[in-house]
Amino acid sequence: MKNLLLLLCVLFFGVGLKAQNLDVGIRIQKTHGMYWENCITAQYTIEKFKPNNFYIGLSYVSSRLGTAMSSNALKQDNYIFNTGWNFGKEVKPLRFHARLNFGYFHAEQVSDIFKEVPNTAFLFSPEIGFKYTFKQVPISLNLGSGYYLFTGEGGDSPGTLQPLYYHLDVTYQIFKN
Amino acid sequence: MKTFLKLTALFSFLFFASCDKDPALTDAMLDGNTIFDPSLYTPEDYLVSAKYPNPTAGDLDKHILIAVHGYSATTFEWQEFADWSVDSNYRISQTLLDGHGRDYNSFKASTWEDWVASAKREFETLENLGYTKISFAGSSTGATILLQLMHSGYFDTHIKPKHMFLVDGIVVSSIKTQSIANLVGPMLVYVETEQSATEDSLWYRFRPQETIRELNELMKEGRKELESGVTAPAGTRFRVFHSKNDPTASSSSAVLMYKGLKHADGSNIEVQMLDSDIHVFTRLALRSGVTSVQITNQQLAFKQMAEQLN
Repeated sequence: MKNLLLLLCVLFFGVGLKAQNLDVGIRIQKTHGMYWENCITAQYTIEKFKPNNFYIGLSYVSSRLGTAMSSNALKQDNYIFNTGWNFGKEVKPLRFHARLNFGYFHAEQVSDIFKEVPNTAFLFSPEIGFKYTFKQVPISLNLGSGYYLFTGEGGDSPGTLQPLYYHLDVTYQIFKN
Repeated sequence: MKTFLKLTALFSFLFFASCDKDPALTDAMLDGNTIFDPSLYTPEDYLVSAKYPNPTAGDLDKHILIAVHGYSATTFEWQEFADWSVDSNYRISQTLLDGHGRDYNSFKASTWEDWVASAKREFETLENLGYTKISFAGSSTGATILLQLMHSGYFDTHIKPKHMFLVDGIVVSSIKTQSIANLVGPMLVYVETEQSATEDSLWYRFRPQETIRELNELMKEGRKELESGVTAPAGTRFRVFHSKNDPTASSSSAVLMYKGLKHADGSNIEVQMLDSDIHVFTRLALRSGVTSVQITNQQLAFKQMAEQLN
């Protein structure tokens, strides 16, 4: 939770200086063959740099608010920073986008027996998707799918971190300059 | 639109062209039609139920260990423990999973339910013969099969196993791309494994995508079971052995087993993480460059299992 607050502080500090648009909302994420991991996402555009196309954002998703909420699934957290590009010169309701995500993964250790079992990893994933923005209300739906690229041998990374994932973001536009 | 149609046509061609691919089988491979697992010819050398079809009171007093091998393997996977145990008081039944130890097409047509069936068959035969002290050992997918038996309530209507030994059990794969086999499988058709010529006669070299999907399904079942919680029947003790850096069955599998599986009295199962980077560390035969640490690990597991069975 401390990390999440830190992320939000960084986000709003940045927004206060240069933001054009800020969208904040929930993210529902499913890793193919593994857990549901949900929580929040925030995306904003920068006033002086391609505000209709380029955006950056932060997301935090956790199995604590997904599969692990009522089961023995591992509690694991993903802290993600992303840069993205909305395609097309005009701002239309439906737009395709591509993203690069960078982040950090951490899973609970459960017991000292497993202190040498990998439970952290750095994240990097390309992602594609599309965003639909409603005309009447400042709400957007963002559907995306990405693939984590791993380095090293399979046994070196946490097993419950699997490569293919899909997510749905439902965001509310807090402000638009 | 034209570009889209061209791309669709290209992908369709690649998809259907790849679907016709057949593996190059030879008579020297288990996948071919010449070599079969020896337990199919002489089951009495592998199954206690076949060796002692009319057990005496002395036979029935023996502790029987049903050893279940993993995906694509054969009875060979537990042969070292059988050889090591030759002078012991307990006896070992080395089951052969259905669809295994035969040929490529038999493997391709098999389902995970078929794999589970072979473990049940020997157990029920022994039970019907009057044995009461029966334990299980499962390596890799064999361990996942035992978890499935446990959670399905199978033992509610049968005698309860004394011990369950799970060696490098798999509910999460270390091979990251395995999770997307369901999506790309039809294009892959099969996966070829690099192994020696001798190993070719004991493990399937070609793993049909259908069986990888079955394996994924069984692993998913295992994870779901552990997520919802599995309680062992009263009197059954679990012991998990897992390689710290298992290249096939992620060590997270052991974490999930520890978290999701409890003894009937609510206590945690016993887990030992071993300093090992091989999969199914209890099988060292045919491996090259076997280290003293690997031998120590194997002997430790063998001794611990034997202590519980004697």
